[in-house]
Amino acid sequence: MILLRAGRWTTLAGLAMLAGLYVRALAFTPVERFQGAAQKIYYIHVPAAWTAMLAMAFVGGAGILYLLLRDRRFDRFAEASAEVGTAFSVVMLTTGPIWAKPIWGTWWTWDARLTFTLLLFLLFLGYLTLRGAVTEPDLRARYSAVLGICGLVLLPFIHLSVYLFRTLHPRPIVLQPARPALPPEMLLTLLLGAATMLVLYAGFVMQRMALAHRREREGHAHA
Amino acid sequence: MPDTPQNAGYMIAAYVVAGVVLVAYAVALWLRTRRTDE
Amino acid sequence: MGEALRDAWAIARKDLRLEFRTRTAILSALVFTVLVLLVLNFGRDPTAVAAVDLAPGILWVTFTFAAMLALNRAFQLELENQALDGLLLAPVDPASLYWGKLIANLAFVGVVEAVGLPVFVLLFNVPVAHALVPLVGVIALATVGFVAVGTLFSAMVIRTRFAELMLPMLLLPFLIPPLIGAVQVTARLLASRPLSEVAGALKLLAAYDIVFVLLATLLFPLTVRE
Repeated sequence: MILLRAGRWTTLAGLAMLAGLYVRALAFTPVERFQGAAQKIYYIHVPAAWTAMLAMAFVGGAGILYLLLRDRRFDRFAEASAEVGTAFSVVMLTTGPIWAKPIWGTWWTWDARLTFTLLLFLLFLGYLTLRGAVTEPDLRARYSAVLGICGLVLLPFIHLSVYLFRTLHPRPIVLQPARPALPPEMLLTLLLGAATMLVLYAGFVMQRMALAHRREREGHAHA
Repeated sequence: MPDTPQNAGYMIAAYVVAGVVLVAYAVALWLRTRRTDE
Repeated sequence: MGEALRDAWAIARKDLRLEFRTRTAILSALVFTVLVLLVLNFGRDPTAVAAVDLAPGILWVTFTFAAMLALNRAFQLELENQALDGLLLAPVDPASLYWGKLIANLAFVGVVEAVGLPVFVLLFNVPVAHALVPLVGVIALATVGFVAVGTLFSAMVIRTRFAELMLPMLLLPFLIPPLIGAVQVTARLLASRPLSEVAGALKLLAAYDIVFVLLATLLFPLTVRE
Protein backbone atom coordinates (compact mmCIF):
# COMPACT_ATOMS: atom_id res chain seq x y z
CA MET A 1 0.00 0.00 0.00
CA ILE A 2 1.39 3.31 -1.11
CA LEU A 3 0.68 5.28 2.01
CA LEU A 4 2.33 2.68 4.17
CA ARG A 5 5.40 2.47 2.00
CA ALA A 6 5.74 6.26 1.85
CA GLY A 7 5.24 6.40 5.58
CA ARG A 8 7.97 3.87 6.23
CA TRP A 9 10.49 5.61 4.05
CA THR A 10 9.64 8.95 5.60
CA THR A 11 10.06 7.49 9.07
CA LEU A 12 13.43 6.06 8.12
CA ALA A 13 14.48 9.44 6.81
CA GLY A 14 13.29 10.99 10.04
CA LEU A 15 15.24 8.53 12.13
CA ALA A 16 18.35 9.28 10.10
CA MET A 17 17.78 12.97 10.70
CA LEU A 18 17.34 12.22 14.38
CA ALA A 19 20.73 10.56 14.47
CA GLY A 20 22.20 13.54 12.67
CA LEU A 21 20.52 15.87 15.13
CA TYR A 22 21.98 14.00 18.06
CA VAL A 23 25.47 14.17 16.62
CA ARG A 24 25.18 17.83 15.82
CA ALA A 25 23.57 18.81 19.11
CA LEU A 26 25.86 16.81 21.33
CA ALA A 27 29.17 17.20 19.54
CA PHE A 28 29.03 20.22 17.30
CA THR A 29 26.91 22.77 19.12
CA PRO A 30 28.56 24.95 21.74
CA VAL A 31 27.69 24.55 25.39
CA GLU A 32 25.75 27.42 26.83
CA ARG A 33 27.89 29.34 29.27
CA PHE A 34 25.47 29.83 32.13
CA GLN A 35 23.22 26.79 31.88
CA GLY A 36 25.72 24.15 31.00
CA ALA A 37 25.24 21.08 28.90
CA ALA A 38 21.69 20.55 30.13
CA GLN A 39 20.58 23.46 28.00
CA LYS A 40 21.00 21.19 25.00
CA ILE A 41 17.89 19.36 26.05
CA TYR A 42 16.18 22.29 24.43
CA TYR A 43 16.99 21.00 20.98
CA ILE A 44 14.87 17.95 21.65
CA HIS A 45 12.25 19.34 24.00
CA VAL A 46 11.20 22.42 22.03
CA PRO A 47 10.77 20.72 18.63
CA ALA A 48 8.87 17.88 20.29
CA ALA A 49 6.59 20.43 21.93
CA TRP A 50 5.97 22.27 18.67
CA THR A 51 5.16 19.00 16.95
CA ALA A 52 2.79 17.93 19.70
CA MET A 53 0.97 21.24 19.48
CA LEU A 54 0.81 20.93 15.72
CA ALA A 55 -0.58 17.43 16.11
CA MET A 56 -3.31 18.74 18.38
CA ALA A 57 -4.13 21.53 15.97
CA PHE A 58 -4.44 18.96 13.21
CA VAL A 59 -6.68 16.77 15.35
CA GLY A 60 -9.03 19.71 15.83
CA GLY A 61 -8.80 20.83 12.22
CA ALA A 62 -9.41 17.34 10.89
CA GLY A 63 -12.41 17.11 13.18
CA ILE A 64 -13.90 20.24 11.69
CA LEU A 65 -13.28 18.98 8.17
CA TYR A 66 -14.84 15.64 8.99
CA LEU A 67 -17.98 17.27 10.32
CA LEU A 68 -18.25 19.49 7.27
CA LEU A 69 -17.39 16.96 4.59
CA ARG A 70 -18.14 13.63 6.29
CA ASP A 71 -15.09 12.06 4.69
CA ARG A 72 -13.80 9.22 6.83
CA ARG A 73 -10.22 9.97 5.83
CA PHE A 74 -10.26 13.08 7.99
CA ASP A 75 -11.27 10.98 10.95
CA ARG A 76 -8.44 8.52 10.26
CA PHE A 77 -6.05 11.42 10.03
CA ALA A 78 -7.30 12.80 13.34
CA GLU A 79 -6.89 9.41 14.97
CA ALA A 80 -3.37 9.08 13.62
CA SER A 81 -2.39 12.60 14.59
CA ALA A 82 -3.67 12.04 18.11
CA GLU A 83 -1.66 8.89 18.62
CA VAL A 84 1.50 10.39 17.15
CA GLY A 85 0.91 13.56 19.14
CA THR A 86 0.76 11.47 22.28
CA ALA A 87 4.17 10.01 21.49
CA PHE A 88 5.65 13.47 21.07
CA SER A 89 3.89 14.60 24.24
CA VAL A 90 5.63 11.83 26.12
CA VAL A 91 8.96 13.08 24.80
CA MET A 92 7.95 16.58 25.82
CA LEU A 93 6.77 15.53 29.27
CA THR A 94 9.86 13.51 30.05
CA THR A 95 12.48 15.90 28.71
CA GLY A 96 10.77 18.87 30.34
CA PRO A 97 11.35 17.89 33.98
CA ILE A 98 14.80 16.50 33.14
CA TRP A 99 15.63 19.95 31.83
CA ALA A 100 13.89 21.73 34.70
CA LYS A 101 15.80 19.98 37.44
CA PRO A 102 19.27 21.35 36.67
CA ILE A 103 18.01 24.69 35.39
CA TRP A 104 15.32 25.48 37.93
CA GLY A 105 16.34 23.20 40.76
CA THR A 106 13.06 21.30 40.79
CA TRP A 107 11.57 18.49 38.75
CA TRP A 108 8.23 20.13 38.41
CA THR A 109 6.80 23.61 38.57
CA TRP A 110 3.48 25.00 37.45
CA ASP A 111 5.03 27.33 34.95
CA ALA A 112 3.67 28.04 31.51
CA ARG A 113 5.69 25.48 29.60
CA LEU A 114 5.42 22.47 31.84
CA THR A 115 1.76 22.95 32.69
CA PHE A 116 0.96 23.30 29.02
CA THR A 117 2.83 20.11 28.23
CA LEU A 118 0.96 18.19 30.91
CA LEU A 119 -2.43 19.42 29.76
CA LEU A 120 -1.66 18.70 26.14
CA PHE A 121 -0.75 15.16 27.09
CA LEU A 122 -3.97 14.79 29.06
CA LEU A 123 -5.97 16.09 26.12
CA PHE A 124 -4.45 13.50 23.82
CA LEU A 125 -5.01 10.78 26.38
CA GLY A 126 -8.65 11.77 26.79
CA TYR A 127 -9.13 11.83 23.05
CA LEU A 128 -7.68 8.36 22.57
CA THR A 129 -9.65 7.02 25.52
CA LEU A 130 -12.88 8.38 24.10
CA ARG A 131 -12.14 6.75 20.79
CA GLY A 132 -11.45 3.49 22.52
CA ALA A 133 -14.73 3.65 24.39
CA VAL A 134 -17.01 4.19 21.39
CA THR A 135 -17.26 1.24 19.06
CA GLU A 136 -19.56 2.41 16.32
CA PRO A 137 -17.38 4.17 13.70
CA ASP A 138 -19.69 7.02 12.76
CA LEU A 139 -20.48 7.90 16.34
CA ARG A 140 -16.83 7.63 17.25
CA ALA A 141 -15.82 9.95 14.44
CA ARG A 142 -18.46 12.47 15.47
CA TYR A 143 -17.59 12.41 19.17
CA SER A 144 -13.90 12.59 18.41
CA ALA A 145 -14.47 15.62 16.23
CA VAL A 146 -16.40 17.34 19.03
CA LEU A 147 -13.67 16.64 21.56
CA GLY A 148 -10.93 17.56 19.11
CA ILE A 149 -12.51 20.91 18.34
CA CYS A 150 -13.00 21.66 22.03
CA GLY A 151 -9.37 20.73 22.65
CA LEU A 152 -8.18 23.03 19.91
CA VAL A 153 -10.22 25.94 21.28
CA LEU A 154 -8.88 25.20 24.75
CA LEU A 155 -5.22 25.62 23.81
CA PRO A 156 -5.12 29.42 23.73
CA PHE A 157 -6.98 29.53 27.06
CA ILE A 158 -4.44 27.24 28.68
CA HIS A 159 -1.67 29.45 27.42
CA LEU A 160 -3.36 32.63 28.62
CA SER A 161 -4.31 31.33 32.03
CA VAL A 162 -0.89 29.91 32.74
CA TYR A 163 0.70 33.15 31.60
CA LEU A 164 -1.62 34.93 34.03
CA PHE A 165 -0.56 32.61 36.79
CA ARG A 166 3.07 33.15 36.05
CA THR A 167 2.91 36.93 36.03
CA LEU A 168 1.19 36.88 39.40
CA HIS A 169 3.68 34.41 40.88
CA PRO A 170 7.24 35.32 40.01
CA ARG A 171 9.20 32.16 40.35
CA PRO A 172 12.55 31.84 42.10
CA ILE A 173 15.01 30.18 39.77
CA VAL A 174 18.39 28.67 40.32
CA LEU A 175 19.85 29.59 36.97
CA GLN A 176 18.68 32.35 34.73
CA PRO A 177 17.46 30.75 31.53
CA ALA A 178 17.37 34.13 29.89
CA ARG A 179 15.80 34.44 26.46
CA PRO A 180 18.91 33.58 24.53
CA ALA A 181 19.60 35.63 21.50
CA LEU A 182 20.47 32.35 19.88
CA PRO A 183 23.81 32.36 18.16
CA PRO A 184 23.54 30.94 14.65
CA GLU A 185 25.00 27.52 15.47
CA MET A 186 22.37 26.98 18.14
CA LEU A 187 19.56 28.31 16.00
CA LEU A 188 20.57 25.96 13.23
CA THR A 189 20.52 23.00 15.59
CA LEU A 190 17.08 24.00 16.81
CA LEU A 191 15.79 24.25 13.26
CA LEU A 192 17.29 20.89 12.46
CA GLY A 193 15.45 19.55 15.46
CA ALA A 194 12.20 21.03 14.22
CA ALA A 195 12.67 19.58 10.76
CA THR A 196 13.51 16.17 12.21
CA MET A 197 10.44 16.06 14.38
CA LEU A 198 8.21 17.17 11.54
CA VAL A 199 9.54 14.49 9.23
CA LEU A 200 9.08 11.88 11.94
CA TYR A 201 5.56 13.16 12.56
CA ALA A 202 4.71 12.85 8.88
CA GLY A 203 6.15 9.35 8.62
CA PHE A 204 4.40 8.17 11.77
CA VAL A 205 1.05 9.64 10.76
CA MET A 206 1.20 8.10 7.31
CA GLN A 207 1.87 4.66 8.74
CA ARG A 208 -0.80 5.06 11.39
CA MET A 209 -3.36 6.14 8.82
CA ALA A 210 -2.49 3.15 6.67
CA LEU A 211 -3.03 0.95 9.70
CA ALA A 212 -6.40 2.51 10.42
CA HIS A 213 -7.46 2.13 6.82
CA ARG A 214 -6.49 -1.52 6.79
CA ARG A 215 -8.38 -2.19 10.00
CA GLU A 216 -11.47 -0.58 8.62
CA ARG A 217 -11.27 -2.55 5.40
CA GLU A 218 -10.81 -5.79 7.24
CA GLY A 219 -13.64 -4.89 9.53
CA HIS A 220 -15.92 -4.61 6.51
CA ALA A 221 -14.67 -7.87 5.08
CA HIS A 222 -15.52 -9.74 8.23
CA ALA A 223 -18.83 -8.00 8.77
CA MET B 1 31.47 35.18 36.14
CA PRO B 2 30.03 31.96 37.54
CA ASP B 3 31.42 28.62 36.42
CA THR B 4 29.54 26.71 33.80
CA PRO B 5 27.58 24.08 35.76
CA GLN B 6 28.46 20.46 35.18
CA ASN B 7 25.11 18.91 34.33
CA ALA B 8 25.84 16.79 31.31
CA GLY B 9 24.27 13.84 33.07
CA TYR B 10 20.84 15.38 32.66
CA MET B 11 21.50 16.05 29.03
CA ILE B 12 22.44 12.44 28.40
CA ALA B 13 19.39 11.23 30.29
CA ALA B 14 17.03 13.41 28.29
CA TYR B 15 18.56 12.47 24.96
CA VAL B 16 18.40 8.80 25.81
CA VAL B 17 14.78 8.95 26.98
CA ALA B 18 13.66 10.93 23.94
CA GLY B 19 15.51 8.63 21.58
CA VAL B 20 14.06 5.54 23.20
CA VAL B 21 10.51 6.87 23.00
CA LEU B 22 10.77 7.84 19.35
CA VAL B 23 12.54 4.71 18.21
CA ALA B 24 10.21 2.52 20.25
CA TYR B 25 7.20 4.14 18.63
CA ALA B 26 8.75 3.69 15.19
CA VAL B 27 9.35 0.03 15.91
CA ALA B 28 5.85 -0.38 17.31
CA LEU B 29 4.34 1.07 14.16
CA TRP B 30 6.52 -1.17 12.02
CA LEU B 31 5.33 -4.22 13.91
CA ARG B 32 1.69 -3.21 13.88
CA THR B 33 1.66 -2.53 10.15
CA ARG B 34 3.46 -5.71 9.24
CA ARG B 35 1.03 -8.13 7.71
CA THR B 36 1.06 -11.07 10.07
CA ASP B 37 -0.45 -13.38 7.54
CA GLU B 38 2.17 -12.79 4.88
CA MET C 1 -35.92 31.99 19.42
CA GLY C 2 -38.58 32.44 22.07
CA GLU C 3 -39.76 28.91 21.54
CA ALA C 4 -36.25 27.57 21.93
CA LEU C 5 -35.90 29.35 25.23
CA ARG C 6 -39.25 28.11 26.41
CA ASP C 7 -38.28 24.55 25.52
CA ALA C 8 -35.00 24.92 27.35
CA TRP C 9 -36.78 26.23 30.39
CA ALA C 10 -39.28 23.37 30.23
CA ILE C 11 -36.49 20.82 30.12
CA ALA C 12 -34.72 22.52 32.99
CA ARG C 13 -37.88 22.58 35.05
CA LYS C 14 -38.53 18.91 34.39
CA ASP C 15 -35.05 18.01 35.55
CA LEU C 16 -35.23 20.19 38.61
CA ARG C 17 -38.67 18.93 39.55
CA LEU C 18 -37.36 15.37 39.34
CA GLU C 19 -34.46 16.38 41.53
CA PHE C 20 -36.67 17.99 44.08
CA ARG C 21 -39.02 15.05 44.23
CA THR C 22 -36.35 12.44 44.84
CA ARG C 23 -33.86 14.70 46.59
CA THR C 24 -31.28 11.92 46.83
CA ALA C 25 -28.81 13.49 44.44
CA ILE C 26 -28.86 16.95 45.95
CA LEU C 27 -28.69 15.62 49.49
CA SER C 28 -25.78 13.32 48.74
CA ALA C 29 -23.98 16.17 46.99
CA LEU C 30 -24.51 18.43 49.99
CA VAL C 31 -23.38 15.80 52.45
CA PHE C 32 -20.36 15.04 50.32
CA THR C 33 -19.42 18.71 50.15
CA VAL C 34 -19.62 19.13 53.89
CA LEU C 35 -17.63 15.95 54.38
CA VAL C 36 -14.87 17.13 52.07
CA LEU C 37 -14.67 20.43 53.91
CA LEU C 38 -14.54 18.68 57.28
CA VAL C 39 -11.81 16.29 56.20
CA LEU C 40 -9.73 19.09 54.72
CA ASN C 41 -10.23 21.08 57.89
CA PHE C 42 -9.11 18.26 60.16
CA GLY C 43 -6.25 17.43 57.88
CA ARG C 44 -4.48 20.74 58.05
CA ASP C 45 -2.22 22.06 60.74
CA PRO C 46 -3.53 25.50 61.67
CA THR C 47 -0.21 26.54 63.12
CA ALA C 48 1.71 25.67 59.98
CA VAL C 49 -0.26 27.40 57.26
CA ALA C 50 -2.74 30.19 57.67
CA ALA C 51 -6.26 29.32 56.65
CA VAL C 52 -6.42 32.22 54.27
CA ASP C 53 -3.55 30.75 52.23
CA LEU C 54 -5.15 27.36 51.87
CA ALA C 55 -8.66 28.66 51.56
CA PRO C 56 -8.90 29.29 47.82
CA GLY C 57 -7.55 25.85 46.97
CA ILE C 58 -9.81 24.09 49.43
CA LEU C 59 -12.86 26.01 48.31
CA TRP C 60 -12.30 25.23 44.68
CA VAL C 61 -11.47 21.58 45.15
CA THR C 62 -14.79 21.26 46.94
CA PHE C 63 -16.72 23.15 44.29
CA THR C 64 -15.11 21.13 41.50
CA PHE C 65 -16.18 17.89 43.15
CA ALA C 66 -19.70 19.25 43.50
CA ALA C 67 -19.80 20.14 39.82
CA MET C 68 -18.62 16.65 38.85
CA LEU C 69 -21.34 15.07 40.94
CA ALA C 70 -23.97 17.24 39.33
CA LEU C 71 -22.77 16.43 35.86
CA ASN C 72 -22.69 12.73 36.50
CA ARG C 73 -26.31 12.60 37.48
CA ALA C 74 -27.45 14.86 34.67
CA PHE C 75 -27.94 12.23 32.05
CA GLN C 76 -28.13 9.25 34.32
CA LEU C 77 -31.66 10.21 35.15
CA GLU C 78 -32.63 10.07 31.51
CA LEU C 79 -30.82 6.87 30.83
CA GLU C 80 -32.35 5.06 33.75
CA ASN C 81 -35.88 5.41 32.53
CA GLN C 82 -35.03 5.41 28.86
CA ALA C 83 -36.40 8.88 28.92
CA LEU C 84 -33.56 9.92 26.66
CA ASP C 85 -35.28 8.33 23.68
CA GLY C 86 -38.44 10.18 24.48
CA LEU C 87 -36.58 13.45 24.62
CA LEU C 88 -34.92 12.86 21.29
CA LEU C 89 -38.23 12.11 19.60
CA ALA C 90 -39.79 15.28 20.89
CA PRO C 91 -39.75 18.17 18.40
CA VAL C 92 -37.22 20.04 20.45
CA ASP C 93 -34.27 21.90 19.03
CA PRO C 94 -31.17 20.07 20.34
CA ALA C 95 -29.70 23.39 21.36
CA SER C 96 -32.67 23.84 23.69
CA LEU C 97 -31.88 20.46 25.14
CA TYR C 98 -28.38 21.65 25.90
CA TRP C 99 -29.55 24.88 27.46
CA GLY C 100 -32.14 23.07 29.51
CA LYS C 101 -29.53 20.69 30.86
CA LEU C 102 -27.12 23.54 31.39
CA ILE C 103 -29.62 25.53 33.44
CA ALA C 104 -30.60 22.49 35.50
CA ASN C 105 -26.98 21.59 36.18
CA LEU C 106 -26.12 25.17 37.11
CA ALA C 107 -29.05 25.28 39.50
CA PHE C 108 -27.92 22.02 41.09
CA VAL C 109 -24.32 23.10 41.49
CA GLY C 110 -25.46 26.54 42.59
CA VAL C 111 -27.39 25.10 45.50
CA VAL C 112 -24.43 23.01 46.57
CA GLU C 113 -22.13 26.01 46.36
CA ALA C 114 -24.59 28.21 48.22
CA VAL C 115 -24.50 25.75 51.12
CA GLY C 116 -20.82 24.99 50.79
CA LEU C 117 -19.61 28.55 51.02
CA PRO C 118 -21.08 29.35 54.46
CA VAL C 119 -19.92 25.96 55.78
CA PHE C 120 -16.47 26.77 54.48
CA VAL C 121 -16.47 30.20 56.12
CA LEU C 122 -17.57 28.63 59.39
CA LEU C 123 -15.03 25.83 59.43
CA PHE C 124 -12.03 27.72 58.20
CA ASN C 125 -12.81 30.99 59.89
CA VAL C 126 -12.06 32.98 56.78
CA PRO C 127 -13.79 36.34 56.57
CA VAL C 128 -15.57 36.83 53.28
CA ALA C 129 -18.05 39.57 54.04
CA HIS C 130 -15.79 42.30 52.71
CA ALA C 131 -15.62 40.70 49.31
CA LEU C 132 -18.83 38.72 49.16
CA VAL C 133 -20.25 40.16 45.95
CA PRO C 134 -17.12 39.76 43.82
CA LEU C 135 -16.57 36.34 45.39
CA VAL C 136 -20.02 35.18 44.38
CA GLY C 137 -19.31 36.66 40.97
CA VAL C 138 -16.13 34.72 40.42
CA ILE C 139 -17.75 31.54 41.73
CA ALA C 140 -20.55 31.99 39.22
CA LEU C 141 -18.17 32.69 36.34
CA ALA C 142 -15.98 29.67 36.99
CA THR C 143 -18.94 27.37 37.60
CA VAL C 144 -20.51 28.31 34.28
CA GLY C 145 -17.21 27.38 32.65
CA PHE C 146 -17.07 23.92 34.23
CA VAL C 147 -20.70 23.12 33.69
CA ALA C 148 -20.85 24.38 30.11
CA VAL C 149 -18.17 21.98 28.95
CA GLY C 150 -19.22 19.26 31.34
CA THR C 151 -22.81 19.22 30.10
CA LEU C 152 -21.57 18.75 26.55
CA PHE C 153 -19.20 15.96 27.50
CA SER C 154 -21.69 14.10 29.67
CA ALA C 155 -23.92 13.77 26.63
CA MET C 156 -21.11 11.98 24.81
CA VAL C 157 -19.84 9.96 27.67
CA ILE C 158 -23.19 8.56 28.72
CA ARG C 159 -23.13 5.97 25.99
CA THR C 160 -19.67 4.70 26.84
CA ARG C 161 -18.87 1.90 29.17
CA PHE C 162 -17.14 3.67 32.01
CA ALA C 163 -19.05 6.92 31.95
CA GLU C 164 -18.27 7.94 35.54
CA LEU C 165 -14.54 7.58 34.92
CA MET C 166 -14.52 9.01 31.44
CA LEU C 167 -16.17 12.27 32.32
CA PRO C 168 -13.54 13.51 34.81
CA MET C 169 -10.80 12.28 32.54
CA LEU C 170 -12.07 14.17 29.51
CA LEU C 171 -13.01 17.21 31.53
CA LEU C 172 -9.79 17.72 33.46
CA PRO C 173 -7.83 19.78 30.92
CA PHE C 174 -10.91 21.95 30.44
CA LEU C 175 -11.21 22.67 34.13
CA ILE C 176 -7.72 24.04 34.43
CA PRO C 177 -8.09 27.53 32.92
CA PRO C 178 -11.23 28.44 34.89
CA LEU C 179 -9.72 26.91 38.02
CA ILE C 180 -6.49 28.83 37.72
CA GLY C 181 -8.42 32.05 37.22
CA ALA C 182 -10.89 31.30 40.01
CA VAL C 183 -8.24 30.38 42.57
CA GLN C 184 -6.20 33.47 41.75
CA VAL C 185 -9.15 35.79 42.07
CA THR C 186 -10.44 34.10 45.24
CA ALA C 187 -7.02 34.34 46.85
CA ARG C 188 -6.80 38.02 46.12
CA LEU C 189 -10.33 38.77 47.20
CA LEU C 190 -9.85 37.02 50.52
CA ALA C 191 -6.64 38.94 51.04
CA SER C 192 -8.55 42.17 50.48
CA ARG C 193 -6.65 43.09 47.38
CA PRO C 194 -8.30 45.66 45.14
CA LEU C 195 -10.51 44.33 42.39
CA SER C 196 -8.45 46.00 39.70
CA GLU C 197 -5.67 43.50 40.30
CA VAL C 198 -7.80 40.60 39.21
CA ALA C 199 -9.50 42.31 36.29
CA GLY C 200 -7.43 40.30 33.83
CA ALA C 201 -8.36 36.99 35.39
CA LEU C 202 -12.04 37.92 35.49
CA LYS C 203 -11.96 38.90 31.84
CA LEU C 204 -10.35 35.57 31.02
CA LEU C 205 -13.03 33.70 32.95
CA ALA C 206 -15.78 35.60 31.20
CA ALA C 207 -14.19 35.01 27.80
CA TYR C 208 -13.87 31.31 28.55
CA ASP C 209 -17.52 31.11 29.51
CA ILE C 210 -18.77 32.90 26.43
CA VAL C 211 -16.59 30.93 24.05
CA PHE C 212 -17.38 27.52 25.47
CA VAL C 213 -21.09 28.04 25.99
CA LEU C 214 -21.35 29.09 22.36
CA LEU C 215 -19.15 26.24 21.18
CA ALA C 216 -21.08 23.70 23.23
CA THR C 217 -24.40 24.99 21.92
CA LEU C 218 -23.03 24.59 18.42
CA LEU C 219 -21.63 21.11 18.95
CA PHE C 220 -24.27 19.63 21.24
CA PRO C 221 -26.64 18.53 18.44
CA LEU C 222 -23.86 16.29 17.16
CA THR C 223 -23.80 14.35 20.37
CA VAL C 224 -27.43 13.35 20.52
CA ARG C 225 -28.62 12.94 16.98
CA GLU C 226 -28.68 9.28 16.08
